[in-house]
Amino acid sequence: MSESISRLMDGDVDVAELDAVCASLKSGEAMATWTCYHAIGDALRGEIAVTRDVRGAVASRLAGDPTVLAPRRSVPSTPASWAWAVAATLAAVGVVGWTAYSLVDSTPAGLARMRDAGTMRAAELRPATVPTDLLFAHQEYAPSIMLQGVGPYLRDVAVTREVQP
Amino acid sequence: MQHAHPPSSRARRRLASAAFFLAFVASTARADDAMQWLTRAAQAARELNYIGTILYQIGPRVETSRITHLNDGGREFEKLVNLDGPARELIRTQGEVRCYYPDAKLVRVEPRTFRNVFPSLSPQQQQSLSRFYDFRVIGDDRVSGRPVQVVVFQPRDDLRYGHRFWSDAETGLLLKARLLNEKEEGIEQFAFTDISINAPIDRSMVAPSWPVTPKDWRVLEGVSGDVVRQATGWVVTWVPAGFEKIMEGFRRLRGGGERVAHLVYSDGLVSVSVFVEPQDAPSAPIGFVHQGGLNVYSVRHDDHVITVMGETPSATVRQIANSVERR
Repeated sequence: MSESISRLMDGDVDVAELDAVCASLKSGEAMATWTCYHAIGDALRGEIAVTRDVRGAVASRLAGDPTVLAPRRSVPSTPASWAWAVAATLAAVGVVGWTAYSLVDSTPAGLARMRDAGTMRAAELRPATVPTDLLFAHQEYAPSIMLQGVGPYLRDVAVTREVQP
Repeated sequence: MQHAHPPSSRARRRLASAAFFLAFVASTARADDAMQWLTRAAQAARELNYIGTILYQIGPRVETSRITHLNDGGREFEKLVNLDGPARELIRTQGEVRCYYPDAKLVRVEPRTFRNVFPSLSPQQQQSLSRFYDFRVIGDDRVSGRPVQVVVFQPRDDLRYGHRFWSDAETGLLLKARLLNEKEEGIEQFAFTDISINAPIDRSMVAPSWPVTPKDWRVLEGVSGDVVRQATGWVVTWVPAGFEKIMEGFRRLRGGGERVAHLVYSDGLVSVSVFVEPQDAPSAPIGFVHQGGLNVYSVRHDDHVITVMGETPSATVRQIANSVERR
């Protein structure tokens, strides 16, 4: 399970596996592992001062579970991939956060299709997005003094940045 | 003394009606001011040639883009290139917008025009502008090195957002705009950081970097945005005062599929769209989504999904969505 959690954080969990991993987070131990891994990540990236307590927790975790760092070596870990993992997880647990568009078909129907086809990784399970088709239809009628035609599309250009994970 | 009372009563009445008249004149003047201001800004954006850099802020994000606008004998051409992240560009010509995403090897073609550009406001919309927004000229400032006039449309209720605009003193062109929430915090903003107005611009400067779409790119053709205007069988029983229905009809979204009912309401400054889709393949997730000042709320209604989208507070779009009924 710790390995699953580790892979979840790297966005490497298959959709099929995702529900099980997220469900497991409800257990106290898995959540402790999750929290601990994030503390490790934060520390590795120098984002937090490693306190005695966290170090203690990390040490005991490492003692009981030698696989903790192994997946981290096998997967090139960048801050971005950590961020993706968090985003994917937030989406998976149903929290609607940042609403970037996606060039992948991000409608519920589209997500369902990809889920069924098993072609989507956890990292692509993204927070709900403002549906592009509806947005374009809406903006056709939006009174616009801002840059007339292109103004509305600024939104599209700006927020489609994270399209390619 | 006996006749002192009637004259004073008459005087009071006269004073009262004079005050009423003055208030009426003042509010009409404000409506005219607001309209004049909007008309000037809209005309400048259409008619002038300009090239500049735009800083666009949405929530915590900041993006910069380069915009080039050409009015060539009444025909408009516009090119927008983003300067951060993957290079992408948008080309607008008459009635068509092409979005190039080279990082995704994708072109998105939107065969749509913008139908509701200022100053095409109905007399009611013009009136609602001053009834529901307090239009004020705040003063002078500078944006992008140019003198500007700052105006604000302050909502008189909490059902809409505030708008602050900075317009070029010389030409009226909008150089900066900000959407404000109920706490008067900016939630979406664009500003020119540099601009050259009446710059010499030719067609090559507004041409796409890919005159021929590379063979290995995908082309996403938007379906015609033409709406079949008719009663949709759906009725919106509540919109904020001042919002009027400006369109009702059916449209097909990309990928064909079922017809989607689309109703549009506007208070003259912003518009709100109401979409009703069959629930088997809704375009939007149930619940709230937002992006800067754009709020979207979807709710199930029997075997349909109702989605309301607009630059109004989330409570407003939700209340509108919950008021939709079958006729």
